[in-house]
Amino acid sequence: MDIRGDTLLQLFIGILTIAVLGAVFLVVPPAEGLGDYVRLAFFHIPVAWVSVLAFLMSAWWAAAYLRKGSQRVDALSAGSAKIGLIFVLLATVSGAIFSKMTWGAYWNWDPRQTTIFVLLLIYGAYLTLRSAIPGAERRARVTAVYALFSFLTVPFLVFIIPRLYFSLHPSPVINGSGSIDMDPVMLAVLLAALLDATLIYFWLLFRGVRRQLPPAKRQEESA
Amino acid sequence: MITIGFTGVVQTFHGRPIFGPLNERLTAGQITVVTGENGSGKSTMLKLAGQLLSPTEGKVIARDGDHELVQAAFRSQLALVTPELKFYSRLTARENLQFLLGLRGIELKDDAFSALLERVGLREKDIRQTYTGEFSTGMRQRLKLAALLASGAAVWLLDEPGANLDAAGRELVLREARRGAADGKLVFWATNDSREEGAADACIHLSRH
Amino acid sequence: MHVSIFQGIKLVFGKELTAGLRFRAAWAAMFMFALTTLACVSMAMQGGGLDPRLLAALLWVILFFASMAGADRVFADEDTAGTLLALQVYGPAQAVLLGKMLYTFFLLLVLAVFITPLFLMFMDCTVTAPLVLAGTIFLGTWGIAAAGTLIAALTTGASIHSGLFSILMLPVILPVFLPAIFLTTGAFGGDVQLSYLGGMGIYDLILTLGASVLFDYLWFEE
Repeated sequence: MDIRGDTLLQLFIGILTIAVLGAVFLVVPPAEGLGDYVRLAFFHIPVAWVSVLAFLMSAWWAAAYLRKGSQRVDALSAGSAKIGLIFVLLATVSGAIFSKMTWGAYWNWDPRQTTIFVLLLIYGAYLTLRSAIPGAERRARVTAVYALFSFLTVPFLVFIIPRLYFSLHPSPVINGSGSIDMDPVMLAVLLAALLDATLIYFWLLFRGVRRQLPPAKRQEESA
Repeated sequence: MITIGFTGVVQTFHGRPIFGPLNERLTAGQITVVTGENGSGKSTMLKLAGQLLSPTEGKVIARDGDHELVQAAFRSQLALVTPELKFYSRLTARENLQFLLGLRGIELKDDAFSALLERVGLREKDIRQTYTGEFSTGMRQRLKLAALLASGAAVWLLDEPGANLDAAGRELVLREARRGAADGKLVFWATNDSREEGAADACIHLSRH
Repeated sequence: MHVSIFQGIKLVFGKELTAGLRFRAAWAAMFMFALTTLACVSMAMQGGGLDPRLLAALLWVILFFASMAGADRVFADEDTAGTLLALQVYGPAQAVLLGKMLYTFFLLLVLAVFITPLFLMFMDCTVTAPLVLAGTIFLGTWGIAAAGTLIAALTTGASIHSGLFSILMLPVILPVFLPAIFLTTGAFGGDVQLSYLGGMGIYDLILTLGASVLFDYLWFEE
């Protein structure tokens, strides 16, 4: 992306963020049973989504690294994990607050809480490993292998965890099917918030990688 | 016939340049010697040739005739005598060779083993019960040579193989290297010994940056 | 001159076993660690009358951390002793991985067979479904061995060691660990849901295959 494209993207993200914030606090009606707490969901759901997205993308670029060995995809994979860690922390904290306000306890190992917590552990493990391996090449290789290996837990997170925990903690408020019942205004705001968070993720990621790799290197890589 | 080509190879270590750009070609049936002072990167060049290290820049390509040898196909052709190579210290010489050569699909019969030991100047009855951890440095060096000879590998990497050997031992290495080259092995030898250098067919000199 | 994968695995397993038996420190450390943990837990709980779920969790925590003390050495030992290079030059990748995995599996299984009866005795615990317990331990240790071998290869050469292995293991092994606790709860008198055994088996296979595919990238640095 050139500099002008980047500025335009920044501008778009800025406007979108303000619009979403405005909508969340001024337009969205208080939800039945939840009251004003529902506004937190428009922060919580997008950051949780990015936590998952960043994990998928990190594994995707890890695979690309093992195929091509390019420094740029390694930086993307690592960058994605770093941003993922921040988002997963935000998701965990906002989730815990949300949980306290709606269910009365900060943590109760609801399937989604469990999933997000496992993601937190994986991101933490990945970044610890990254800091522990000397030598750029081996570091890139080893962490790419771990990113893909930990990706094997995905079927478990998606299919098994809900079975293990669902019966113990039915999630009464926000769940996959629940969002369909949402009122159209809320749905639209939620989608906008999701788009906003996704764009912020990609913007942070590519900006980080651009700063990390000197321009000459990038030309070489893209050539 | 195996060749190993270095094209535009530059090697740096933690940002410090070691050598390069290097364009060389190692050929089977020859002894190629690499010389240079300590720290000039002889051992590094050997590792690059063995694809045990990837170059910072440039390419090291091994070919057998026309097709490129990569990963397992190349590694199964490789044998080395280097200071970094270590045997399992709690296994005997026989067990070590049986294990390592066994992984290459080579079975070592009793007579072949005795003959091999004799060839490298080790006496079987002295070491039958001894773990290699209790070997002297020179004995270990000879055992490394035995593993290399028995492996039948086509690419030999020798990193100062005479360093811990007595005069007879150095003579042995020289003789075996010549014999290997005559058999069509690719012998790549790092040394600073002028006599060993004199026995080579080709010489690469690495100067310090 | 090509060695069959089966032959290669046998050689690596045999080498590990021979070296392991001649150098008993690693075995001793692992067993003593398990025993010490068990003793601590048992003393703290004063034995008897615990909820099956708590017992199951305790058993797996002991097994998991005891195996951490043994399984992380499979590549690090070779690295420290300097033998990794010889193994890398002479050993085919898959034979090395699977041979070491099999050895780790064997080691952990022996450990589990040693520690579980002691656990049952000390904690005064009745097993209502022994076969389920046996199956769970078999599949659980397989999973730990499969993931542990690859992760041990990953952490070779890392600048920190002791904690790193467990940190990397835990998220990957959770899919084995959690169903194992559920199943063990069942075996100690709760409900048994046999489908979890199938789930563990499938995940063990996924881990083994994943490790096998990824290991080549570590074995050939090029």
